[in-house]
Amino acid sequence: MDFLGDTVVLSRMQFALTAIFHMLWPVLTTGMSIYLIVVEGLWLKTKNISYYHHARFWAKLYVLNFGIGVASGLPMEFQFGTNWAPFSEAVGDFFGSILGFEASMAFALEAGFLGIMLFGWDRVPPVIHYLATIMVGFGANLSTVWILVANSWLQTPAGGDFIKGKFVVSDYFQAIMNPFALNSILHMFLATLETSLFVIGGISAWYILQKRHQEFFTLSFKVAIAVAVAVTPLQIVMGHLSAEQVRHYQPTKLAAMEAQWETIPAGSTADWSLVSLPNDKAQRNDWELKVPQGLGYVLEFKSKLSEPVLGLSAFKPADRPHAIGLIYYSFRMMSGIGFFLAGIMLVSLIQWLRGNLAVDQLAQQKWLLRAWVLAAPLGYIAVESGWIVRCVGRQPWTVYGELRTADMASHLPAAQVLTSLTAFAVLYSSLLVITLFFASKIIRKGPNLELAAPYSSTIVEHQLDSRPVN
Amino acid sequence: MEALQHFLPQVWFAILGLFLFLYITLDGFDLGVGILSLTSSSEERRSILMTSLGNVWDANETWLVLMGGALFGAFPLAYATILNALYIPASAMIFGLILRAVAFEFRENSDKKTIWNLAFGVGSFLAALGQGFALGSVFEGIAVDGLGHFTGGMWDWLSWRSIIVALTLIQGYVLIGSTYLIMKTTDELQATHYKTAKLAAITTLVGAVFITVSTPIFYAQARDHLFDLPLLYVFGAIPLVGFGLVGLLLRSLSRKQETAPFVWTILLFLMSFLGLGLIIFPYVIPPSITIYQAAASPSALTFMIIFIGFLIPIMLFYNIYNYIVFRGKVTSLHEE
Repeated sequence: MDFLGDTVVLSRMQFALTAIFHMLWPVLTTGMSIYLIVVEGLWLKTKNISYYHHARFWAKLYVLNFGIGVASGLPMEFQFGTNWAPFSEAVGDFFGSILGFEASMAFALEAGFLGIMLFGWDRVPPVIHYLATIMVGFGANLSTVWILVANSWLQTPAGGDFIKGKFVVSDYFQAIMNPFALNSILHMFLATLETSLFVIGGISAWYILQKRHQEFFTLSFKVAIAVAVAVTPLQIVMGHLSAEQVRHYQPTKLAAMEAQWETIPAGSTADWSLVSLPNDKAQRNDWELKVPQGLGYVLEFKSKLSEPVLGLSAFKPADRPHAIGLIYYSFRMMSGIGFFLAGIMLVSLIQWLRGNLAVDQLAQQKWLLRAWVLAAPLGYIAVESGWIVRCVGRQPWTVYGELRTADMASHLPAAQVLTSLTAFAVLYSSLLVITLFFASKIIRKGPNLELAAPYSSTIVEHQLDSRPVN
Repeated sequence: MEALQHFLPQVWFAILGLFLFLYITLDGFDLGVGILSLTSSSEERRSILMTSLGNVWDANETWLVLMGGALFGAFPLAYATILNALYIPASAMIFGLILRAVAFEFRENSDKKTIWNLAFGVGSFLAALGQGFALGSVFEGIAVDGLGHFTGGMWDWLSWRSIIVALTLIQGYVLIGSTYLIMKTTDELQATHYKTAKLAAITTLVGAVFITVSTPIFYAQARDHLFDLPLLYVFGAIPLVGFGLVGLLLRSLSRKQETAPFVWTILLFLMSFLGLGLIIFPYVIPPSITIYQAAASPSALTFMIIFIGFLIPIMLFYNIYNYIVFRGKVTSLHEE
């Protein structure tokens, strides 16, 4: 248990724990905000009360997730200062301003309009309410943009130079549009959508299996399939494009993702490792199941590699990641889930085209519905795995090729970090359990289909209710 | 160029001051209401207190997130050193704010409201306490080396004076929370908070007088700074205006006015804040690192002014709109 006395390791564990826990919540609220914009728009357009009930029902899950997201996001921001002071000082000029933009442009917008979106149904005209819903969704997705800009810059720093250990920006546009930025933003945007779609579709499938509110949930189930038709294949493409960039800009990460120890020269073929037991000390895989000549097809869709693939052994041990097994399996988990979800989409689409998803027939598609219920948590697992590949694979660097993680930690007594880490671990595990409990309670209770359309949709000029309490 | 290198950090000092003031005032009443809820006599009352904040607490917390991001970008050294030094108070604040936030969401879905009402109160108190000690360390100073890196110990922020500062801030939060509740409630509940407001006004005044008097005595740098003309007039004027405002506040409380006490309290916060800002300026890590030493490069500061500065009026606009939409008394326990 040597790490218990190592501040750097403890601070890393604390940040990883905070980030992994935090990611669970905005991934849903960001994607779901778009769903809420869609159903409220459909309600305003068609005046079909069912859409209004959808907006109200899913907003309950939304706000539960939003609250935990805000609560768990705050410690991330402050940890840059408390646990990573040298890092904050070195890159604050750029990294700090980007976090400032995220707060002022995105988070403030989302939080500022959330009150109206949740509680304002009877207080503002429908158009203003819809505007609030759009602003909440716009803010959430703008957050994705800025956070991914900041993280991408850690992966592929650009737009300035490190002078005496401090980053000085010379070109903001270049720094913001750093090589990873655009692909990463799109990959994450699709990830939030895909995760939310399968949560919405999975919960809807559960109701249909339970034969509760079948007509109501067939609607959201079909919306989920329809959007998944576009999102799941696009995500596979984005995943591939991201991997190509990793190969180009972060060869150590790609080698870790494939547990590839030896360099493969250009013009040759190589096997693609499907399952293996990487051994970091011996610099080889103890055991391996391979697809013969597969690597060329995985990376370039042809048998011979046009460029060399650098192996881990080509780098000094101090310059490459060491948790190879974690990176290797996280990558396989993420991509496996991506293909599995696309498969579910394909089967659902075929059944739809064959006319088997009509309200009166859908409940008979038991296996399809069960697959959707099973798929509900998979998006989260894929997102977390992807972030593990991205950030553990970046090691030993905090800013790739420039600043080493070991030099970036605050000099704190290990006991102090261990204490806060333990407190976070206890708090977050309890929050996870309690949130799942309340989420399942909301789901078991189901939508309130008796809810009348809001007051404001019938009377445009809103009046203030000034009755006293009791 | 020379002028720019002075001007830009000063602008950012002012912007950060604005964010901090907005946070302390707006989340201040949230936290104050939370602390007051611990003394509430019934679950029903506690529920009304929480409902009065349901639509605003997360928008109010935004100013803290914003201040963190802007401090990180504008004064990276200060962000690093201050948070490094204040590890324990900052963690207490964060845990408190987490507890407060989840209390809102869990309570909404729970049949056992008691435990979440309690989490709301305890979380608010813990967050206020952490902020109080952080503020205390401003007077206490943070030990740094020549490069501005933290060299002190993990308990440096704790002293008898920082305890008094923390308690005073909590009293201030209780005061602004009480005056907010006077605006938002009626009848007995309102009557209770006329009493708590009066009490908190007096305890806050005692704390503020102590801090004002003790600062020049214990804090050499402030002393030199304070007795320079023409600043002396300003420093002399702030406590006088402050006393006047306390008088107006107490008068409005005894006249049972509904909105005026809240307004006087905000002005009182503003005065304390101006005093604090003038004592600290031009330092950002008291007592040795100035805003010029800790500032990001002029290009970063300019870039941030363009983006964030442009957004400040927009943010203020929709936040004010939010308050207008939900103006008036709390009318029901469930804002569904």
